[in-house]
Amino acid sequence: MTWWQIILSGFEALKEYIALHVLTCLIPAFLLAGAMVTFVSREAIVRYMGAATSKFKSFALAAGGSFFVAACSCTVIPVASGLYYGGAGVGPAFILLWVAPAANILALVYTGTILGGKMVGVRILAALLMAFVVGGVMSLVFRKEEKARAESNPSQAAQAHTKVMKRADVVLLLLLVLALLAPNYIVQKGPYYQKVIVWAVGMAIAFGYAFLTKTREEIGHWMKETWWFVRLIFPLLLAGVFVVGIIGALLPEAWVTEWLGGASLRSSFLATLIGAISYFATMTEAPFVHKLMGLGMGAGPALALLLTGPGLSLPNWLAIARVFGVKKALVYVPTLILLGTLVGWIAGNTVLR
Amino acid sequence: MRIEILGTGCPKCQATEQIVRKALAELGIDAEVVHVNDPRKFREYGVMFTPAVAIDGQVKLSGHVPSVEEIKRLLAH
Repeated sequence: MTWWQIILSGFEALKEYIALHVLTCLIPAFLLAGAMVTFVSREAIVRYMGAATSKFKSFALAAGGSFFVAACSCTVIPVASGLYYGGAGVGPAFILLWVAPAANILALVYTGTILGGKMVGVRILAALLMAFVVGGVMSLVFRKEEKARAESNPSQAAQAHTKVMKRADVVLLLLLVLALLAPNYIVQKGPYYQKVIVWAVGMAIAFGYAFLTKTREEIGHWMKETWWFVRLIFPLLLAGVFVVGIIGALLPEAWVTEWLGGASLRSSFLATLIGAISYFATMTEAPFVHKLMGLGMGAGPALALLLTGPGLSLPNWLAIARVFGVKKALVYVPTLILLGTLVGWIAGNTVLR
Repeated sequence: MRIEILGTGCPKCQATEQIVRKALAELGIDAEVVHVNDPRKFREYGVMFTPAVAIDGQVKLSGHVPSVEEIKRLLAH
């Protein structure tokens, strides 16, 4: 294969990607993420997480709330650190750190359009399961430290009174989710223009509702935040797809089948390791995994890579060590690598077989 | 006057710094602008959502990129 063909396959992947995903998938996804940043009070969510009294409740709140903090692994660190040093337990803080990038709504929706609904369902369940285990392990290992912290740090439960969001905002977010899902689920097999029609109707309804219930200023804020997501993620996504196209052309299929195929413990471990070390910007993990699956990667290892890809990376390990201390990073990262391997292996031999 | 931009060095934080500088130039105010990117510093200020802007040690906004107008309003008080 000549270098020219290799570069060409990068452009081929880019062309296919832009034609199929930008209009019906990415535009609504970015609008949804922008709306979440504008209309959902992240401060209120995090305050609720910090104020929870029982351990189970604080874990559940942290895991559930993290779905709505659309973030990649770099922006979530100050949030988790603020939660932790604001008096919340080490468990919820690390749950947020894990779930927000590994299962944020942008990435989930996008996984669905590329890899199908079943993969999303398993991804959500696995992310939640891993969140509870990692939260438990962190609380257990650092229980002495936690006890000392709890005594010196009176809880600040009294201030959780800001509303997370207004009812009109909930409706708007739901309409956007529908506009996002409808084209890909109603028109699964039909020609592309049918998807575009469903998309246009969905968007028109969502925008109609927004214009009726929102002030001009609020819509302006929303558009500004949406534009930020486009500017931050879109170039990374295009670069990612291009690189994936090239990797796909270079990697011998036999190699992928040998090392990442099937549902063995080794494939799952290798996939977890790739995901845990390299940096994947939110959403770039889906086309990467899609390509590898086309070359023979097994579904279990694919799940492991989807989970650890956006949730962990080498730069992210270092940042966690700097903010929370080396010891916590040394417990957190290996626990997740172990869990990712196990989850990929078990799911690959059961639900994803 | 001392203005601190709290951010992880992300593009949004850099944009915030640009906007602050622009607002200062338009108002003709001479102030020291510093970019703080140590997450440990953020929690001293109680900031979770970056970018944030602190004027003379007081956090004035956090969680979004401000407009030039917004900064001007903050500087007027």
